Amino acid sequence: MIKILLLAMSASLFMGCSLIKEVKPWEKETLAKPIMQFGGLHPEVTKFESHVYFSKEASRGGSGVAGGGCGCN
Amino acid sequence: MLKKTLYSLLFSSVALMALETGDSVPQDIQEKLKLESDKVYVVDFFASWCKSCKKELPLITNIYNEKIAEVIGINVDKNQEDGEKLVKELKLSFPIVYDSDKRLVEAFNPLGFPAVYYVKNGQVLNVIFGAVEEIDKKIKEDIKAIK
Repeated sequence: MIKILLLAMSASLFMGCSLIKEVKPWEKETLAKPIMQFGGLHPEVTKFESHVYFSKEASRGGSGVAGGGCGCN
Repeated sequence: MLKKTLYSLLFSSVALMALETGDSVPQDIQEKLKLESDKVYVVDFFASWCKSCKKELPLITNIYNEKIAEVIGINVDKNQEDGEKLVKELKLSFPIVYDSDKRLVEAFNPLGFPAVYYVKNGQVLNVIFGAVEEIDKKIKEDIKAIK
């Protein structure tokens, strides 16, 4: 009986996990759009903001990612 | 009976596995791609929004033009028009299959993009995921080793 209960619990647990749908590499079109960048759609604003940031913080870099968001290197 | 139902529920949550080296390409997919026996195919999955794909595609065209191997490009854009535009822009000469219904890409289930598969006699011989610098050189070396 305990075995069946444990099985039922783990089944419901894994079913819960399956509800979270994984984004597959070929479904990352939206993530690859320029608007999805950390800097946003307007690079001039981003550039200005990053200029203010590194002037204030005396540090620069680490503010963006390279690539198309397609899961590649 | 209850046990069987619970086991089936438990394993229904496990995602489908990706095709890996040594795996066989499903028969219906082989037919859709019109794969012929004893030929080495380079199957390249790409999309218009994938920057690394754009970088690699002209190099893969060279592989096709130099007749190193048979090349099949599989475009996975939601809108086929986007894929067609890219093919025209990059002047890709190899055969392209538009996989708008995602049947092919879901069958191969690649772990990254771009994804290049070497297929011979319906079997996956090797897989390359992600961007590779000078992929044409890599493919040439791999094909030489396969042949």
